[in-house]
Amino acid sequence: MKKCQYEDLIDDYLLGRLSPPEREAFEEHYFNCSLCFQKLQEQDAIISVIKSQGAELFQDIYAREHTKAPSWLERLSAFLPYRQVAVAVATAAVVLLIVLGINYFNKPSSPQFIITDDLVRGESITLISPVIDINSIPTKFRWTSLGKNVKYYRVYIYNHELIWSTQTEENFIVLPEEVKKKLTAGEKYSWQVKAFSADGHLVAVSSRVQFKVMNSQ
Amino acid sequence: MKQKTSASLNLEEVIKKYRPVITFKVIKSIGSQTPDWEDIVEEILTNVIEKIQTGQFRGESSIGTFIYTITQRRIIDFIRLKSKSFSHVPEPEPYKSPVEALENKEMADLAYQAIKKLKPKYREILYLYYYRGLTREEVAQRLGITPKKVSERVHYALKLVKKNLKIKK
Repeated sequence: MKKCQYEDLIDDYLLGRLSPPEREAFEEHYFNCSLCFQKLQEQDAIISVIKSQGAELFQDIYAREHTKAPSWLERLSAFLPYRQVAVAVATAAVVLLIVLGINYFNKPSSPQFIITDDLVRGESITLISPVIDINSIPTKFRWTSLGKNVKYYRVYIYNHELIWSTQTEENFIVLPEEVKKKLTAGEKYSWQVKAFSADGHLVAVSSRVQFKVMNSQ
Repeated sequence: MKQKTSASLNLEEVIKKYRPVITFKVIKSIGSQTPDWEDIVEEILTNVIEKIQTGQFRGESSIGTFIYTITQRRIIDFIRLKSKSFSHVPEPEPYKSPVEALENKEMADLAYQAIKKLKPKYREILYLYYYRGLTREEVAQRLGITPKKVSERVHYALKLVKKNLKIKK
């Protein structure tokens, strides 16, 4: 059976990834094509189940993704007896102390910066999207990645006050459905990202960028 | 192909065919949580019948396009009206509950079971692509495969789930 050229747009339509003209063209098409409408309904049903019951459905995958990888110490202990591990760790610590001590006495001390909650000297984060007025509730928030020095980012979304905040190790977040429901068309919002090092220190802050959700229809 | 005109249309058939399509579009636009959606669908159908009966459908476009235009205009009017009466327009509910979406719980359960039974690589692709909302390129990067392969895998996973739904329907 010949495949309809619009069939490939079903996913993008259901996931809100079509531009308004593309969306209208696709909608007009499914009013005219029974086959595409049937496939659209089926796909919508499956995605609905995934979206609404995904937490339970993919519990194992989620758990695996968020399980901490074994540390080098744990991996080492799997091969060596405990006493040998202790000796190895102690030796490494002594060597490290000696190296640090030599560096401390040989180098001038680096300038000290006081990092307040929002003021950081150094690299800054650039927010990529959303940064202007947009037609529909944004699904994804994206910013520039700062690389290996950053262990995690904290994202804040504000209206007049903080609406939601979350933490991620990636340079984007996908807005959960329950948070999307809190955003309404016609309202102005702002968002900001802060980057933290592995030991929890604030290392970079983005500016707070405003966006407005326009009326999509 | 010669387009049908008002005179040559069977109204019962038109309503039977287009009610689910109009309902789908209305729910996607204003959300099933908006209590007015059923009234709007009925209004659109009434409007369609009226226009056909008064000869306003002259076959210049297909009947699908004609009904789509009426549907789209009614939804825009509804949103404009609501925007005036409230501080914001009603937002579409992004995803309906499975019961609403599949119209019966049994179908939702079948889809759930079908997804659960998929091989890990197909479940993982559905998790990343639909649940986490990553793009094809992001999924590809994460799994170390090409975006084309991601599309193929998503397509095949959906095919397996749909097959399961159809067999038990």
